[in-house]
Amino acid sequence: MSEWGTYTLTDFLMFSPRVYFRLIERYNQEFWPLQLVFIAGALFLLVPAALQAPRARAAVLPLFSLAWAFCAWQFLWTRYASINWAMSYAAAAFFAQAGLLVMAALLPRSPTYAGGLRHHGGIGLAVCGLLVYPFIALVAGRPPATAETFGMMPDPTVATTFGAMLIVGQRRLWLLLPIPIVWCVYSGLTLWAMDDLGALAPFAVIVATLVLLLAGRFFEKVTP
Amino acid sequence: MAITRRATVQGLGIGALLPFAPRLALGQPAGILTRPIPSSGEPIPVVGLGTWITFNVGDDPVLMEECAAVMAAFFEGGGRMIDSSPMYSSSQPTIGYGLRKLGYPERLFSAEKVWISDPGQGGAQIAASRAHWGVDKFDLMQVHNLVSWEEHLPVLLEMKAAGQLRYVGITTSEGRRHREIEKVMASQPIDFVQATYNILDREIESRILPLAREKRIAVIANRPFREGDLIRELEDEPLPGWLTETGARNWAQFLLKFIISHPAVTCVIPATTRVDHVRENLEAAGGTLPGEKLRRRMIDYVEAL
Repeated sequence: MSEWGTYTLTDFLMFSPRVYFRLIERYNQEFWPLQLVFIAGALFLLVPAALQAPRARAAVLPLFSLAWAFCAWQFLWTRYASINWAMSYAAAAFFAQAGLLVMAALLPRSPTYAGGLRHHGGIGLAVCGLLVYPFIALVAGRPPATAETFGMMPDPTVATTFGAMLIVGQRRLWLLLPIPIVWCVYSGLTLWAMDDLGALAPFAVIVATLVLLLAGRFFEKVTP
Repeated sequence: MAITRRATVQGLGIGALLPFAPRLALGQPAGILTRPIPSSGEPIPVVGLGTWITFNVGDDPVLMEECAAVMAAFFEGGGRMIDSSPMYSSSQPTIGYGLRKLGYPERLFSAEKVWISDPGQGGAQIAASRAHWGVDKFDLMQVHNLVSWEEHLPVLLEMKAAGQLRYVGITTSEGRRHREIEKVMASQPIDFVQATYNILDREIESRILPLAREKRIAVIANRPFREGDLIRELEDEPLPGWLTETGARNWAQFLLKFIISHPAVTCVIPATTRVDHVRENLEAAGGTLPGEKLRRRMIDYVEAL
């Protein structure tokens, strides 16, 4: 058997759940109420984008790059990397994704609706990322102070960004999807190794996004 | 290898032979069993302190204080060896915090690792580890999980010859690369080998432990509780009626007594975040140890649960 076959998921977990969730708790307390500012700012951009305002559609992803950069700098690099050395690489990937989102202003978008299913599904995904994700901590039996919110924590930032991509009918998604998807897999496996119920959420975000993209493409083809 | 009570007692150091003597060199409290490091004869308490996961607390002040309290209890209880690695993220700075707070106890036996695939960066990594701990030199430097051992080991042996280290070793865990470990043990002048050994993971008994005795290499047993899984699995199970024969009071001590009763084991390194647990662990390094018959009974009992 190869040496890699002897490893289990928990072998890669180098910190305890207590340390991880206390880290999030302290981070949230330090920046409160910035979490609300991020959520309000995202809604301020997403509502007109969902209503097809051209400027909002063009601006939403480039402006979301600020959330990615903040997350990379303040959470991944400054805090999470202190208990998980691999997070310095994740921070670099998040900064790269922030750059790609800025570039999204130059990438094509569908001229009008990107297909009803994609558009409405994107709204649903963004609402989940912004308003549902913070309550996952409670569902998982954790203190509210460990809530994950858009712009502060990676997972809801990914979910909301995926929603925004679908809302604005972003093209060239092969460029914008890989980093967030890899992150969601990593995050889900980490939470799984910690026996946290929240582990299901990042996987659900990937599945929902891919289903909406594929189903949207199918309906685009069959709808005259 | 046959293990008799006589062999077990002979394997113990002066701490065991003089259980009620006043404090020994380095303030060794009475009653703590020691074993000599074969290459030097230096006695080392048979229970040390691991830091994997438990000391990786980032800059959380509450958790750093908890770790410092664990270290204080460890030294007060007679412990010496603290083991860490650059792989353990913030564990090294946490140790450094504790050592500064405790005024760098003279009895510290610092065990570190080099863990980097680029051999040219080994020296820089060791220097960074020293800075985290706040020590001038490490007592023991081990090649972690055999990463680039062919390149690192000669450098470490040179450092030892130059007085920049006191001992050199290699490590593995969870039964990985044992053949290669044996090859290194047979061919290199190392002082320590570290591998997983507990009541359920006994693979090293067949070849590595006998080879260690033959080559006069000290053995550090890691993962004594399988990162706590063994304790969690056993804590609801009934303790054997003959528990007192093992010298243990609870499951943790039962598991530790099993490990340190093997005469080829020099030291076991349980990790914990709790002061009461570190005291319990050190208590296992006192009193009687089971002989071969009782060890077999301990294995049978646990395997039957």
